[in-house]
Amino acid sequence: MNPSRRTVNVLNVVSLVAMMVAIYMATIQAPSATNIDESIRPAQRIIYFHVPSAWISMLAFFVTFVASVIYLRSKHVKWDILALCSAEIGILFTIAATASGSIWGKPAWNTWWTWDPRLTTYTIVLLLYIAYFMLRGAIEEPERRARFAAVYGIFAFLSVPLTFMSIRWWNTIHPVILDPNKGFGLGPGMASAFMIGILAFTILYVTLLANRLRVEWMVERVAALRERLLSA
Amino acid sequence: MEYFVGAYVVIWLVVFVFVFLMNRRLGALDDQLTMLEEALKRQEQK
Repeated sequence: MNPSRRTVNVLNVVSLVAMMVAIYMATIQAPSATNIDESIRPAQRIIYFHVPSAWISMLAFFVTFVASVIYLRSKHVKWDILALCSAEIGILFTIAATASGSIWGKPAWNTWWTWDPRLTTYTIVLLLYIAYFMLRGAIEEPERRARFAAVYGIFAFLSVPLTFMSIRWWNTIHPVILDPNKGFGLGPGMASAFMIGILAFTILYVTLLANRLRVEWMVERVAALRERLLSA
Repeated sequence: MEYFVGAYVVIWLVVFVFVFLMNRRLGALDDQLTMLEEALKRQEQK
């Protein structure tokens, strides 16, 4: 799984443009929320990047889950590499979503942190995936490491749908943006900025993943060349 | 406004650190790759 240098460069440019559009939409184009106190209206715009960050973290862990399942069936190392790279990006965006959510919590809930079901389950997700890397670091033999990590990657993913559903199943102060009964909980101008944010972050995820896969491909190439040099 | 700026800075800082570290690693790997390819070429010429 080696994205070419050209593909990576094209993705880098597309990602940059998409992000600039998303920033413009979130900061200038989107109207201010009218149903909240005027003093916290600017802070409400955090959702345009907070929700996409959370979405990307869940998407990344889903990719890790799928790649882990395929690895266990095929035993091909490329799927293990994909699972590893995607989990790294997942952790990155889990931290971004948690931090930005906490910053929104202060003006909205008057606290940086509360043990709400969504916040608690999301913290568990973060800890589970940090443990995923600890597990990988603890096993030296590559085939065994990949097998154990794949099994762990499948079980760790169970926490993701639990986190997604936590605000629907339990009493929580965290708002539900997409409710099947109530529809989209945002006004028309806000919804378009929100959707563009989701799209831009998805492109960013693909870009980061392609770059990260290229790093792993180069690691393998260096190892292969070193081996060839030593055996020559 | 400060909360909004703070959240955006945090999100972009996290992404920037990841990209920076990845690029640094990519640069180091590129150097290693060039060095190994040259060494292999020299060995084949001998």
